[in-house]
Amino acid sequence: MTVEEIIDKLRELMKQSSTEEEVDWDAITQDARIETLGFDSLSILDLIYDIQQDFGLEFEAEKLVEVKTVGELAIFLKSAMDA
Amino acid sequence: MQDHRRVVVTGLGIVTALGLDEASFWESMLAGKCGLAGIKKFDTSEYKTKVSSEIDDEILGPALKARKIRPADRSVDIALLAAHQALEQAGLFHPGEPPEPSSMATVFGTGAGPSLSVFNATRKFLDRGLTGIRPSTVPTCIINAVSAQISMRFKLRGPNFVVVSACTSATAAIGTAFKMVRDGQMESVLAGGTDAMINPLIFGAWNNLGVMSANPDPETASRPFDMDRNGLVLGEGAGALVVETLGSAVKRGAPIRAEICGFGESSDAEHITRPDPEGQAAAMKAALGSAGVSPADIGFINAHGSATRTNDECESISIRRVFHSAADDIPVASNKSFFGHLLGACGAVETITTILGLETGRVPGNRNLVNPDPKCDLHLVGREAREVDSPYAMKNSFGFGGHNAVLVLRRWDDS
Repeated sequence: MTVEEIIDKLRELMKQSSTEEEVDWDAITQDARIETLGFDSLSILDLIYDIQQDFGLEFEAEKLVEVKTVGELAIFLKSAMDA
Repeated sequence: MQDHRRVVVTGLGIVTALGLDEASFWESMLAGKCGLAGIKKFDTSEYKTKVSSEIDDEILGPALKARKIRPADRSVDIALLAAHQALEQAGLFHPGEPPEPSSMATVFGTGAGPSLSVFNATRKFLDRGLTGIRPSTVPTCIINAVSAQISMRFKLRGPNFVVVSACTSATAAIGTAFKMVRDGQMESVLAGGTDAMINPLIFGAWNNLGVMSANPDPETASRPFDMDRNGLVLGEGAGALVVETLGSAVKRGAPIRAEICGFGESSDAEHITRPDPEGQAAAMKAALGSAGVSPADIGFINAHGSATRTNDECESISIRRVFHSAADDIPVASNKSFFGHLLGACGAVETITTILGLETGRVPGNRNLVNPDPKCDLHLVGREAREVDSPYAMKNSFGFGGHNAVLVLRRWDDS
């Protein structure tokens, strides 16, 4: 999967778990900061769960502490998938 | 002695298969429409019962989206929709504006809370073990999510809790709200009820209990008080009422829909499913006493009338024990003939129907009453709505567990 394809998938998954109604998910780019997309401490757990289930990955949520943008998340997931 | 305050209803919200708002619901009731249909959500080929009162997702989806309600759990979603309508009608929430925090309490009845979410979570756990459980399962599935989500969405900072007492849940919630306001604990309470239990497991449990109608024809399946009644028909729905002091309503210039004058409750303390006329009668007497009215003052009774052989006969006996010969002249009808038994929500939706009956002077009939059971020795309303001009009405609810909850309501006439 390319980083762009991963970002496409992330848009779908984020739309599911986000509590924010006003986000234009189709317009989200790699620079979008995850904290602005309507995730609180509970819904971010659901997002991580959905990502793990969908991508077939297992990783500790703590590994995402330094991940701030959608692009950084996609790169993290790509390297986890390629490992 | 505590100075009891007068308690009024200033907003109504209703979400049922017969309509997702007050106007369409009432129009459907008066037109005699049937809110029951063959179950669409799952395959019922192995079930004895094939019909229920399901809310159409094609109508519900857009209604939730219009109010920006993100679907979370069905019972919570429809409760929020009903709460929106009630608060908007009462002038306490304005679409498009953020909610203004208030000290209003939230007291909502439910029989099973977020039961669909519990069912789905269980199914995933059985399929996939621990990895099947989503992190947000606890906050989604706790029964108090019903009142908590309402409180959160509308910034209602008074106490919020659910009342769980089977089919009396919503009536008891409204009664609790009435007492909280009457006795000075709260100025206002958002009260109501919700249930959405039409899933293979819970419906299967009711199926195997053997109290549901096996009549596959939705038009004729729910037949309260009829000789050929053969069980209840389940439904999903929600109702919400803004309950506040008369003083607060007048000060705000809020529309007053009815006055809640009395509430009575009791337990049979006999059997977990079989009702007892003494317990039911005690709740009715307590409600009348609380309202300070006599049986003969009641203009009509909105019965529990679940269409089981047992309930309808028992309720008829208990009404006679309270009303004696006055019952010869007091019309009795069960709304369940239109939209089935909404379980923890029935008390709210049926109280709203009672209020609409008081306001308009038109009481919906017993939709499928073709051959009245002689054991139901009451002045039963026929199949058509009838005119009733009376200031007072009684709403009965009775539930598994021997719960009995009764409200007395008064038509609002500015006095």
